[in-house]
Amino acid sequence: MEPIIRLENVSFSYKINEKTKVSVLKNVSFSIFPGEYVAIIGHNGSGKSTLSKHLNGILTPDNGEVWVHGHNTKEIKKKRAIRQSVGTVFQHPDNQIVATIVEEDVAFGLENIGVPREEMKKRVDEALNVVKMSQFRHRPPHHLSGGQKQRVAIAGVLAMQPDCIVFDEATSMLDSFGRKEVLQVMRNMNNMGMTIVTVTHHMSEAAEADRIIVIEGGQIVMDDSPREIFKHKQELENLQLEVPSVSQMAELIHSQYTDFSKDLIQENELIEEVEKFSKEEVV
Amino acid sequence: MSSEFEISRSITIGQYVPTGSFIHRLDPRIKLLAFVILVVAIAFNTSYIGNAIGLVLSLYLFWASKIPISYGLSGVKPAIPFIIILAILQLLFQGQLFSDGKVYVDYGFILITSESIRLVVVSAVRFIEIIFLSSVLTLSTSTTELTHSIQSLLSPLKKIHFPVHEISLITTIAIRFVPTFAIEMEKMMKAQASRGADFGTGGWWRIIQRTKEMFPIIIPLFNIALSRAEDLILAMECRCYTPGGDRSSYSVYRALAKDYLVLMVGFLFSLLLLFYPFPF
Amino acid sequence: MPSRPIIQVENLSHTYMKGTPMEHVALKEANLYAEEGECIAIIGHTGSGKSTLIQHFNGLMRPESGKVIIDGEDLSKKKVELKTLRQKVGLVFQNPEDQIFEKIIGDDIAYGPFKLGLQLKEVRERVKWAMSVVGLDFEEMKDRQTFALSGGQKRKVALAGILALKPKILVLDEPTSGLDPRSRNELLEKIKRLNKEEKLTVVFVSHNMEEVVLLADRVYVMAGGTDVLTGTPKEIFTDKEKLLRYQIGTPETVQVLYRLTDLGYQVNTDAFSITEAADEIMKVLAGTKEGSEHVQRI
Repeated sequence: MEPIIRLENVSFSYKINEKTKVSVLKNVSFSIFPGEYVAIIGHNGSGKSTLSKHLNGILTPDNGEVWVHGHNTKEIKKKRAIRQSVGTVFQHPDNQIVATIVEEDVAFGLENIGVPREEMKKRVDEALNVVKMSQFRHRPPHHLSGGQKQRVAIAGVLAMQPDCIVFDEATSMLDSFGRKEVLQVMRNMNNMGMTIVTVTHHMSEAAEADRIIVIEGGQIVMDDSPREIFKHKQELENLQLEVPSVSQMAELIHSQYTDFSKDLIQENELIEEVEKFSKEEVV
Repeated sequence: MSSEFEISRSITIGQYVPTGSFIHRLDPRIKLLAFVILVVAIAFNTSYIGNAIGLVLSLYLFWASKIPISYGLSGVKPAIPFIIILAILQLLFQGQLFSDGKVYVDYGFILITSESIRLVVVSAVRFIEIIFLSSVLTLSTSTTELTHSIQSLLSPLKKIHFPVHEISLITTIAIRFVPTFAIEMEKMMKAQASRGADFGTGGWWRIIQRTKEMFPIIIPLFNIALSRAEDLILAMECRCYTPGGDRSSYSVYRALAKDYLVLMVGFLFSLLLLFYPFPF
Repeated sequence: MPSRPIIQVENLSHTYMKGTPMEHVALKEANLYAEEGECIAIIGHTGSGKSTLIQHFNGLMRPESGKVIIDGEDLSKKKVELKTLRQKVGLVFQNPEDQIFEKIIGDDIAYGPFKLGLQLKEVRERVKWAMSVVGLDFEEMKDRQTFALSGGQKRKVALAGILALKPKILVLDEPTSGLDPRSRNELLEKIKRLNKEEKLTVVFVSHNMEEVVLLADRVYVMAGGTDVLTGTPKEIFTDKEKLLRYQIGTPETVQVLYRLTDLGYQVNTDAFSITEAADEIMKVLAGTKEGSEHVQRI
């Protein structure tokens, strides 16, 4: 299977002034495949934001290449195709909405690429449906909560029918209700086949993904399933990252009851393990 | 008022009150055109009767659009201090320009005649009429309709490479952020007041002092605006926005006979107000 | 001498834009009190009136009807000395780093103290103290530029700016919103210390139940503009019926324990911390080792 996004030995530095450069990404390589749900985690300053901006060509590497659907992000002529293929939802809910009512904003991207009106109406309706904001289509943005605004932003990207959507710390400014709403939408979209890449420092969000990439000091330090990643509790702690409560509880229980699995990451799994344990003993 | 800070809620710009009235259902381009020609006519009319007609017309429009007059009045309220100050200044200092008519006061450079009084009254009433008309327009027309109208009416200028869509987009974005900005300003004032900032105290002569007091508001809001602009540009680019590029349009308006009829009526009213020699 | 609560809110109501078409009732006879030195959490959905309530504490809003008494002073009086009130009650808004306006860190923190009319020497002392409380090195950071800071550091600067007023009561609206895990834990640690060691009365609004459990002595649940429930975290989070009724979230640990009780296991749902919750689960497992009769299924 061809990857949607492929990074090959990507290095990137920010220029502070004429003489000083700060190296932010060092020789990063990985691929994102269709249908994946990938979380990129790292503490603030690890390079994860810079990395996410490379995924659709907002930034281009100083060294190395980034390929999106076979196009090189350095090719200026391919910019539009790349941005259509990989859409991005950003952190600040307000700072992505340009129009005065919801449905107009969702249509904005489609107008930009010249989609005919009939097709536009269809796509806007579908996108609003997926994010469950159809009844808000005529509302102005300042009447919406943070979570609702982010869902509108997602609809705006979704309407362009990308192959992959990148969420750049898209829940960090939301309260717990808003975060749940957005995560639900991400889960639904992935179930429908959308490739999702989410950049976050919330471990409970990362636990939702199929694959976690851990970045530190501009380099990939871990790339595996959540279950495998959360086994390395000490290492994660050293990287200033948390481990989900469920994992922590499982580990504590495991230290007393060695048969109890310590590789649990979801609530359901913990409950099931307790049930399994009590049944086993009876037999 | 139990709070010094309730600004954001009194902002009526960008407020759309959907009542489904006849006025609401008119083609927004027609409304915009009619609005412009009426405002021009009112601006040039200096008679009492003419302005009375204009005032009655604007009140009628409120009634026809089924919008409570309280909205219109809350639009006028913040302007009242200006109207009063302007009236006083005009009365005291512009009298010399209106020396014909019956003289009431003649003291030094202050000349108050029946004509200067007319000026003052007519100016105030005109101001109110225009506020009412603008209110009816913005309350009965969603901002999207308005910006589309501006874009549509200006589109012939595309032929001379006038950046019609760009201007329209800038207007849309500006209007879209007015309520957001008002909320942020309110919050900023509260936050700085919580640190001991003092707005609006002291007399007008301490103008430098009072300006300095506003720095804790202006500077952060400016920062917010700048970072907002940066974020917006990035988000727009990621959705393939290209300035000056070809684009399709989500909404379309088609003017019907009734719209043209309304435009005709508006035009006739303007002609009336502009050219009819009202006796008083 | 009988002590009175340092914050007393009685039947407080507030309606925005009263008498206009855009009228909105934000508070409806809300009640709250805080004893000196307590740490109070206010939780509730957006629109439940939390922000409106806390804005009464430092006089940004005056009681429309009902009473607000801060340290013995009735805020419904005509003449309230706002300056002293705002020194006594330090209110930190959400995302306070937005309000930084000075170019130099030290200057921004010094704004509040200067506004109080303090002399340079005293202001310097205050800035130094405030910076040490939030964990910013005075000598290293006081002359640094504000715009070059990270989000977490900016928040420290903003918090220091309020602490420099040396308030008796600290009110925080979602103090950790937007912070990454490390910064969040650091900040919670600092707030805890301010409450326990510096003896500040703390009132904070939060959506994060782990935070509530960590810091609060008592919790108020707001809904529909009024306080619907109050008690210690233990009382609130063990009342399952009320939790459901008011859609109150619980810490992740408590969630797991509740699900186990649903399945018939005997666990205490007031085991908030990870170690306590794990202990509760281990009690269940220990029980099973001795046979099935200890497991009661409904």
